[in-house]
Amino acid sequence: MNAIVFTNVSKSYGSVQAVRPLDLVIEAGQTVALLGPNGAGKSTSINMLLGLAKPDTGDIQVLGAAPDDAVAHGLVGAMLQNGTLVAGLTVREVVDFVRHLYPEPLPLDEVLRIAGLTDLATRRADRLSGGQAQRVRFAIAISGAPRLLVLDEPTAAMDVESRLSFWASMRSYAAGGRTILFATHYLEEADENADRVVVMARGQVVGDGTAAEIKARAGGSTVRFTLNGRPADGLGRLPGVTGVEIHGPTALLHTTDADTTVEALYQSGLRVRDLEVKGADLEDAFLDLTR
Amino acid sequence: MLRYLRIELLRMSRDPRFVFFTAAVPVGFYLLWSNIGGVHGEIEASTGLTPQVHLMVSMAAFGAIVAAVASTGSRLAGELQSGWLRQLRATPLSNRAVICTKILASMILALTPIVLVSITAALAQDVRLSPAEWAGMIALMWLATFPFAALGTLIGSLVSPDAAQPVSVGTHLGLSMLGGLFVPISQMPHALQNVAHWLPSNRFGEVGWDIVGGHAPSAAAGLILAGWAAALGGCAIAAYRRATVTA
Repeated sequence: MNAIVFTNVSKSYGSVQAVRPLDLVIEAGQTVALLGPNGAGKSTSINMLLGLAKPDTGDIQVLGAAPDDAVAHGLVGAMLQNGTLVAGLTVREVVDFVRHLYPEPLPLDEVLRIAGLTDLATRRADRLSGGQAQRVRFAIAISGAPRLLVLDEPTAAMDVESRLSFWASMRSYAAGGRTILFATHYLEEADENADRVVVMARGQVVGDGTAAEIKARAGGSTVRFTLNGRPADGLGRLPGVTGVEIHGPTALLHTTDADTTVEALYQSGLRVRDLEVKGADLEDAFLDLTR
Repeated sequence: MLRYLRIELLRMSRDPRFVFFTAAVPVGFYLLWSNIGGVHGEIEASTGLTPQVHLMVSMAAFGAIVAAVASTGSRLAGELQSGWLRQLRATPLSNRAVICTKILASMILALTPIVLVSITAALAQDVRLSPAEWAGMIALMWLATFPFAALGTLIGSLVSPDAAQPVSVGTHLGLSMLGGLFVPISQMPHALQNVAHWLPSNRFGEVGWDIVGGHAPSAAAGLILAGWAAALGGCAIAAYRRATVTA
C-alpha cells in the first residue's frame, strides 16, 4: 500500500512555478524527510497533499483516496507552518477538541504524554513559548491517530533541547508503523530521523534515497592540515585525492578514501600539523544537489 | 460540530471584548437614552410605542448587530490569518461545519444583548409586556440575527484582521443608523427612508417593534430578511471556502 502518490503534479502561483511536474511515491510505514531550501516547493507540495491547495496538473492519492477525502476520513494529521494557536483555550481543551474530530483518536493522556505536554495541560494555549506551542501543534497533529502524519518544518522556532525531545516524540509515534512525511531545511534532522530523504530544489526532486546514499553522491571526504609554507607539490598525486585547495597556510584535500590518503600523506615525509579529517556531510551533498 | 460550538462559546466567554461590546455597550446606551427620551410612558404617534419600549427594541437590535457583525468579523479574520482555521481544514471537520458553527455561535452571541437589554428595560424602565410578547420578540429577533451573523463571517473571510475592525464597525454603525435604530426612519429624508425599507437592520427592528406593539411582523419584513439571509449566507460560505483553499 502506498501512502502518498504524486503523478505529474505541478503548481504555479502567477508566473512562479512552485512545483514542476513531480512524481513521487511514498510507501506506507516509512518516515520520509522532504529536504530543501526555502522556496524549493516543499510547503506547496504539502499543501496540495492536504487538499489545502489544488494542483494545476496531475493527480495526488493519499492512502488510496483523493486528498480531501483522506483528510475528511481522518486518515491524515498535519502540523502546518506558522500557525499560532487559537486564543482562549487551554492546551487540554484544544487537543481534546481536535481529537474528537477523528473517528479513532488516541487517548488524551497518551497524546499529552507523547508530546511532552502533561505538565502544561491546563495552561492557555496562546500563552506558551515558541517551542511549547510547537509541541501543542504536534499533539494536535497526532491526536487523531492518523495513518499519515505530515509535518511542515516542525522544529522551526525550537531551541536545541526542544528539538531533541521533539524528535524523540516523533520517533515514538512513528514506532506504531505509521507513515510520516516531514519537511525540513535542517540537514541533520533529515539525516537522523528519516528512513528516506527526498531532496527538492526549484520545485523538483533532485535527490532521493537514504541519507547515506545522498551523502555518497557528494563524493568523498576532506583532509585539512597546516602546511606552513612548505611546497604543496605532489599533494594532488596522493592516492584517492581528487582536488587540492591551498588557503594561506592551510591545505585542503578532497579525497575518495580518507584513510589511504592520510597514510600516504604521513609516509611522504611532510611534517603535517593540525590534521583534520571530515566525512562528507549531508550539507555538502545538499548544496551539491540544490545548486 | 456540537463540540466545536461548545469551544467557540467557551472562547467567546473568555474574551473581555465580548463582555464590553455585547453586554455593556447596548445596555449602557439604553440606560443613557431611555432617561433623556420623551415623556415617560407616553405613546408616541410616530411609532405607536412608548419611547422606552421603542428604544428597548432599537438597542436590542443594535447590540445584536454589533455582536454578530463586529465580534464575529474580527475574530474570524484573526483566526484565518493565524492559521488556526487552516489547521482545522486539515482535520475531518468540514468547511461547511466550520462556517455553520461560526454563524450559529455568532447568533448565540447576538442573543445576549437582546436578552440583556430586555431585562434592563423591564427592571430600570418598568417595561411590561405579556409573556407571549416577550417570548415572541426575543425568539423572532433572535432568528432575524442570521443575516447579520452571515455578514460578520463574510467580512471576516474577506478582509485582513487589521481591516476587519474598521470595516465591521463602519458596517454595523451604517446599518444601525440607516436602519433607523438610532433615529426613527420617519424622521429621515424621504430618499433615505426608501433605502431603509430594504435594509435588514430596519426590518430587524421592525420585527421587534411590531411584536411589542401587539401585532404580527409583516410578510415584507420576513421576505426581506430571508432574502438577505440567503444572499449573505451564500456569500459567506463561498468567501470562507475561498479564504481557506488557495485555488
